[in-house]
Amino acid sequence: MEVEISRRRFLQGSVALTIVGGTAFSASSLLSAQEEKKEFKVTTKTGLGKADNIPFLCGMCVNKCAGFARVEEGVVTKLNPNPYFPKSRNMLCPRGNAGIQTLYDPDRIKYPLVRIGERGDGKYKRVSWEEAYEAILHGTDKFKGLLQILDEEKDNRATIGYCNGEGLSKEGFEVLMGQKIGTPNYVDEISICLETTLGGYFNTIGAYGEADLNNADYLIIAGANRAEAIITPDTMDMFKRSKGRGLKTIVLDPRFTNTAAKADRWYAINPGTDLAFVLAMTYVVFNENLHNKTFLDKYADGWMDYKNHVLSKGYTPEWAEKITGIQAKEIYKTAREFMGAEHPIYYQGRRSVFSKNDFQLRRAMAIFQALSGNLDKKGGIIFGKKLTLPAEEINAPMYAQVKPRFDKEGIAIPTDKTGSWILFRNMVLEGKNPYPVRAMFMRKHNPMSGVPNTAKTEQFLKKMDLNVMIDILPSDTAMFCDVVLPEASYLERTSPVASYGALEPAIVQRRAAIKPLYESKTPEVIYKELAEKLSKPLWEITKKYDEDVQDDTKDMKPEELEQYYKENGFDLADAWEKPVEETNKERVVEAFGEEAWKILQEKGVYYPDMQKYHKQLNPNEFEYYPENKKNYTTKKDKLKVVVNFKNLAKKGIDPMPTWHDEWNFKVPEGKFRLVTGRHAQFTQSGTTNNMMLRDLIPTNYIWINKRVAKQKGIKFGDMVEVSSKVGKIHLKAYPTEKIAPNQTFLLHGFGGMSKGMEMAYANGGNDAMIIEDAIEPVYGAAAMHTTNVEIRKV
Amino acid sequence: MRYAMALDYKNCINCKACEVACKEENGVQLGADKHRIWVGVKEIEGEWPNLSIASSTFEPSQCQHCENAPCQEVCPTQATHYAKGGIVMVDADKCILCSYCMEACPYDARYVKDETMTVDKCTFCSDTRLARGETTTACQATCPTKVRTFGDLDDPNSEISQLLKTREHFTLKTHLGTKPKLFYLI
Repeated sequence: MEVEISRRRFLQGSVALTIVGGTAFSASSLLSAQEEKKEFKVTTKTGLGKADNIPFLCGMCVNKCAGFARVEEGVVTKLNPNPYFPKSRNMLCPRGNAGIQTLYDPDRIKYPLVRIGERGDGKYKRVSWEEAYEAILHGTDKFKGLLQILDEEKDNRATIGYCNGEGLSKEGFEVLMGQKIGTPNYVDEISICLETTLGGYFNTIGAYGEADLNNADYLIIAGANRAEAIITPDTMDMFKRSKGRGLKTIVLDPRFTNTAAKADRWYAINPGTDLAFVLAMTYVVFNENLHNKTFLDKYADGWMDYKNHVLSKGYTPEWAEKITGIQAKEIYKTAREFMGAEHPIYYQGRRSVFSKNDFQLRRAMAIFQALSGNLDKKGGIIFGKKLTLPAEEINAPMYAQVKPRFDKEGIAIPTDKTGSWILFRNMVLEGKNPYPVRAMFMRKHNPMSGVPNTAKTEQFLKKMDLNVMIDILPSDTAMFCDVVLPEASYLERTSPVASYGALEPAIVQRRAAIKPLYESKTPEVIYKELAEKLSKPLWEITKKYDEDVQDDTKDMKPEELEQYYKENGFDLADAWEKPVEETNKERVVEAFGEEAWKILQEKGVYYPDMQKYHKQLNPNEFEYYPENKKNYTTKKDKLKVVVNFKNLAKKGIDPMPTWHDEWNFKVPEGKFRLVTGRHAQFTQSGTTNNMMLRDLIPTNYIWINKRVAKQKGIKFGDMVEVSSKVGKIHLKAYPTEKIAPNQTFLLHGFGGMSKGMEMAYANGGNDAMIIEDAIEPVYGAAAMHTTNVEIRKV
Repeated sequence: MRYAMALDYKNCINCKACEVACKEENGVQLGADKHRIWVGVKEIEGEWPNLSIASSTFEPSQCQHCENAPCQEVCPTQATHYAKGGIVMVDADKCILCSYCMEACPYDARYVKDETMTVDKCTFCSDTRLARGETTTACQATCPTKVRTFGDLDDPNSEISQLLKTREHFTLKTHLGTKPKLFYLI
């Protein structure tokens, strides 16, 4: 067998561009005028001398894979995988390896910044931390401070909105903003992420679960791209057994992904029609009596109703062929193979909401899985166990003047805690908010790139009286903030301990590999200091307007008043009395003892009997738990599958998954349906300034079907304009047969507009600028794949 | 001692973790065309939606550390030489950048290192990890799907020897007689 392999790479145009040559790189930064020019050696060969190996958890994406940071003379020279963590299984992906370049990114925010120019123009001055906190509290001549805003709003804390990207310090920010400062208006990233998937599975089988891909023998993976959107351990488990090696893999995706390249069969499904595919497979199963009747009788309420529903509606494969574009015979074949397999899994998927029917799609998928009976057991969707850590108690004050959240218009099951980004923003812009929203506190979150319709996000941010950002890089959103606080990156901080996994659970801790660079501080220190600064002045506002507090404290002496302030949680900083390291130790020792703490400190991972169970199988692989200690079956008789969810009807939601013709896939002649997604080398906008990753994918391209591109005279690398109803972007074209003639794809996260990020600035296109701000009707989550665009050469 | 690498290449998902780990471990300069290892990808065959999955394979590659290395033969200054364990190395002090070796290498495994203006290539991490007594290369250690196994062919008990005994495999451009030491497992 002969295979031609060449140094040249054909894909994504990496042949066309060389970005940086030379050994050192110095970039003009946000503060270039004030910053002495430092030379950054971009890669450092590891040395042969003494080195520390500090356990860390990766912060480049959501997975929290474990690694050891090699530290030589105070410099992180290499990130290595950690073989003790069952979730990440002794590996680091390209982003994990490139984390060093994020740590030493010359464009890091180095000092606290206060805006001196207009919002968006990037003009800031370097200030001390005290001056920055002071600006948040009292404002400057350019913007109002929180004290004035809350005074004018008579202590209605809901006038503050806040958001936070995923991460180990996210809970702390929720404590500060939600519980201590007391606003209900949290706009979590979940509503631009996988909210319907979690909700659909939770409302059907009680949890999202874990797919036991090590033991499954048949896999349908639809709209999830595990070769490129890496999820641990799924990615590692899946591709060791695909390609005729035990895990038959059926991939559904509108475009041909790297996951499709590993499939036994790939079906190019029309975007937003997966529900029709699942319903048709369900039809085949019921019609041919392939379902596990014993299992359903025992665990599934109302499955006979669903059988009648699916059969009577006539959801045949022939019906679905017209909607999905997948041949009826293939649907018959897949349904029969699935039910004939011993351990079949319809993979739950993750990522964003595709279409307005996404909640029903996830319900239908969960029910389809249940039809096989392959739940709560080896080789199926399992539920497992978590190791629990003692909860931290928060003394949350009660504010009488705070008003409830309002982002509920037109949605069936509004989530009180997390909200809907699009609805919250749009209602404020449309003046539908029942009280003024005047400040946004943001951390590690970039809605200018993440929330569909960037023009509206910009308007929204400009409407605020005060915007605050805590982050490591000056993102597009940071450019619209009045105070920008520099955070320590994940390799410079010890984070709160966390518990992961279900089949093979573990406790993990990220330890700081080096001290925070420049003047950055760890998030928990920032929360504490900000809370200390705000606490007493905000307390004065509460005393001025809060009648409950006034009644309680009438005639109190100053000492009594001080005691009341402390006892009732108005001392905002009391949640951070101890540093993270100390709290971690207390929680771990309380739950698992001193020895566990020692192991965790050294190895970054702990689980009971780890030293007994953990074994190296070969140079690459480890066993974490013995087979008989893995949590395959945990629900047992408590397992319940909700098939006919009657109460949903009260909210105007179909109690059983039902297709509506308005969801049929339609693209007007000459237009393209836009789909977005990921490559393995980038997470989101947060990684696009990483020099190492930029070598691998220099920019994002718009995928156009090759034949269509030829008709339009578009060649590889040509600049094109992609426009929708809400905006337009310019980026380079990538003609390919991997996408349908009436569809188009671009990689999410590019097209940054912040001049403070030299590598990311004006590189490629930002999908959020052209994705229309449609929401699905259950939670108000963003439906990402419902926009049609035009493409023309420019 | 004969160092070699076996690649369970069907596991490869073209994530390029190996390439980044290699660059960080060995201080390889940045730049899209500056890399010691890479993943070969071919343009997919067929027209949408009838694409050939079989044509879309990912083939990780790098210096093959040939036992009969054409690069070593053509080098006029003996900069390219066989080091301990049969690892093909370039002595930067001797390299005059005549680039004969780059022409001679059938695997396109060499590039020009701008910092020293000499030829550079995979070293099997012999001057970093192996020199510290570690037993894996950076690319092997980091691989999410565990494509790579590095080891000694002369040790019959090594993992690589065992793998090559039990698994069918092939080498690249075998007909050239270079005796490459990268083995692709089927």
